[in-house]
Amino acid sequence: MAITLEKVTKRYAGTTIVDRVSLEVQTAELFVLLGASGSGKSTILRLISGLLPPDEGAIRLGGRDVTMLPPQKRDVGFVFQNYSIFRHMTVAQNIEFGLRIRGVPASERAVRREELLDLVGLGGLGSRYWSQLSGGQLQRVALARALAYRPAVLLLDEPFGALDVKIRAQLRQNLKQIQKTLGVTTILVTHDQEEGFELGQRIGVIERGRLLEVGAPEDLYAHPRSLFAATFLGAGTILVGRCRGERVELGPLTLPIPPDVPHDEGDRVRVLFRPEQVSLSADPPPPSAAVLGRGELLEESFSGSFRRVRLRLPALPGTRQLSPALPYGENALLIEAAVPADGRPIPAQAWVALENWHILRQPTPRLLVADSGDASDPALAIARPFVEALDGVATVVGIASGSSGQDELREALGRRAREAGLDTASVRARAGDPAEQLALEQSEAPYDFLLLGDTEPALRSGKRRAAGLAEELAEGVATPILLARGAAQLPRKILICTAVGEPGKADVRAGGWLARRLGATVTLLHVSLEGRTPTPLVRAHLDRGIETLRELEVKGRATVRQAEDAIEGILAELETEAHDLVVVGGPVRGSRAPFLRGGGDSVTRQVLRRCPCSVLVVPEGSW
Amino acid sequence: MSATVPIAGPRAVRPLVPVTLLLAVLLPLILMPLAAVFVFAFRGGLPAFGKALASPDAQFALRFSLLIAFATAAVNAILGTFTAYVLSRYRFPGERPLGILVNLPVAIPTVVVGTSLLLLWGPIGLLGKLLEPLGFQPMFAPAGVLLAHLFVTFPYMLGAVKPVLDEIEATYEEAAYTIGASRWQTFRWVILPTLRGGLFTGALLTFAHSLGEFGATVLVSGNLRLRTQTAPLYIFAQFEAGNVAGANAVAAVLAALSFVIFFFLLRYTTNRREA
Repeated sequence: MAITLEKVTKRYAGTTIVDRVSLEVQTAELFVLLGASGSGKSTILRLISGLLPPDEGAIRLGGRDVTMLPPQKRDVGFVFQNYSIFRHMTVAQNIEFGLRIRGVPASERAVRREELLDLVGLGGLGSRYWSQLSGGQLQRVALARALAYRPAVLLLDEPFGALDVKIRAQLRQNLKQIQKTLGVTTILVTHDQEEGFELGQRIGVIERGRLLEVGAPEDLYAHPRSLFAATFLGAGTILVGRCRGERVELGPLTLPIPPDVPHDEGDRVRVLFRPEQVSLSADPPPPSAAVLGRGELLEESFSGSFRRVRLRLPALPGTRQLSPALPYGENALLIEAAVPADGRPIPAQAWVALENWHILRQPTPRLLVADSGDASDPALAIARPFVEALDGVATVVGIASGSSGQDELREALGRRAREAGLDTASVRARAGDPAEQLALEQSEAPYDFLLLGDTEPALRSGKRRAAGLAEELAEGVATPILLARGAAQLPRKILICTAVGEPGKADVRAGGWLARRLGATVTLLHVSLEGRTPTPLVRAHLDRGIETLRELEVKGRATVRQAEDAIEGILAELETEAHDLVVVGGPVRGSRAPFLRGGGDSVTRQVLRRCPCSVLVVPEGSW
Repeated sequence: MSATVPIAGPRAVRPLVPVTLLLAVLLPLILMPLAAVFVFAFRGGLPAFGKALASPDAQFALRFSLLIAFATAAVNAILGTFTAYVLSRYRFPGERPLGILVNLPVAIPTVVVGTSLLLLWGPIGLLGKLLEPLGFQPMFAPAGVLLAHLFVTFPYMLGAVKPVLDEIEATYEEAAYTIGASRWQTFRWVILPTLRGGLFTGALLTFAHSLGEFGATVLVSGNLRLRTQTAPLYIFAQFEAGNVAGANAVAAVLAALSFVIFFFLLRYTTNRREA
């Protein structure tokens, strides 16, 4: 009997635990819901079984709408993680319980009971009690009890979680066999990727209450669409390059981008390769091979049929590593490879080439909107047009000063998000220091932009102004930070403040990307100190910036101003032209940016404090 | 188990002095009074004991006390289990204060309980005033005695059953629901059997306390012989009237009953702990 979920949502105390999950499990299918603990996967099972009512959406079992039916009327078998075997009943009585409730005569019950005991391999143990059985046996009793009344659907909540590894492997095989024999539609919930691969005909990956993707195990492993699925389902390396001419650039190496994962020119492209897709050789590979470079062997570990190897390669220009995570300060690539354990030594220095790879889909832009929950905070109103124009997803986060205010804040945020028209936003309430908590939130689930309303004090708990908070964040968070001021409308004219001394051009790229998505025009501004003529270097720098914008298909022009210092030049530009968004790089310390310094304060800080319009701070390395 | 090990380490080698001291204290405090009841009851010989017990007043008092104790245990078994179930399974405003309130009867002096019941149900009491014209008067009647005993012993059943209920994990009931059992079926076939031990302990405790209840009973019953006089009231009345033999005989029976109940409880709880 097919199981259908239609946009099922469950909230608890303002937090969305299951978020618009739609799913269709075929008759007789063994479907695995895979996710980390707390991802909401068990809640989905409880919603299907009727132990919890959904807040929204519909659940159908074989075409019958059961959304509002109690568990007794749903005809499901449920195996709990702790098995919940009735302790005052024997194994036989446990198994017969469902039949007794249904008024089945004793003789029929006995026949069915023996059948099930044989099926799960517990023949002869019918008269035992709970305390006389091992964990594996209890699990099988629970399974037999859930199957006794021939339910249309079998639901298993981490059924192997409490067992040791050896028994687990054996019981998995048993379960697979039993499920196949009976042909009962089954959903199994687990956090164990290996278990999912072994059992699931199809797997659904759940993260933070959302069903990210569904597919056959091989397919999900080889061709994941989301970053989460790519990293959750097995080892591998993920590099981020740039799209240029329908190929992705990883330093000198370029790989074709298949037409089914369209990327725009200049977009970031995420390339995944699994350990077994990496080949190592002592000699330089042929020129036709996709060579990443030559690296040194860092570590290797033996795991039966193959060896796992980790290599360090010199960093490639314009390439960033997403996974495995680099240790802080590491400026290199860490590549995971698997080589056959055939006794051949692995060279200490090896050429690394890719035999195969997979390009992830263009990600949906993710916005983190920090809101105080108070009516005066403009963050949500300003966020909405951004979310719509970027076709992105928003997460609304608030920071309470103590954990006691968290629930109340969460509710206020949820209400405000709905009022602002951000119905689809996830809502999160954290407690503690705003800068610290926002950095934590960002590290838990990477966002593309962080949006902060300009209020005083920022986010309730802090005493600082939002500008100060934004500045602090820019030093600790690798995400562009948008300090939102003024009316709730999209910027039409973007001013990107750039300087020759800047180490990179993340600000031009991020500002340009935004301009393109929003259909805005861009002005590149360079401020030269008064009395000095702009050097040819400045011209070349601005030309490169315009070139970057052209690649992004954004209309832009460059302008040079002379002023006492950078901030005066920027303010003067804002007076002559009605720019409504100023883009600056992150705070730059030391002597690397002599032109940017003004009165001891970083330009970033001054722009944040003194510009009347919204400001986007793009820390280096964030784009 | 570890709590019984003396902190000083190995057991003292010479137990004679502390043990003698302990016995010297306990003898007049606890042991001798226990013995005294039986010594005095049988001082006149078995026939005198039998005769004292056979008096109609004594017979009535004992039977009435047993009946009330059975009724109290039965009613409170149902009421206490229901209260425990609601308190442990449902979340509602005022749940905590209610949980404290229902345990209050153990802390109130029983005489105060008797007074309150009189002030509520008595002929001039808040409710009694309304019932009087209808010809229903619970005070100074068996119903009043039952009311008093239900009140006084209420927490014992609750205290025995609620911890067991609280310990049952939520999935235990949920498992029954998914299997198809209704709420009532789940209670009847899954919850109730696991409560057996608690119910047994609670019932015995209630029974024992009801059997010995004096303070509240003496006020609400009016101490009417052959109508509302329970065994403890009979003992008191006979003592006052100078019939020590009659008082002692009934006291000995009450004491013996209490011993039996006590040893049942002891055996049951130790068995459970070992299992």
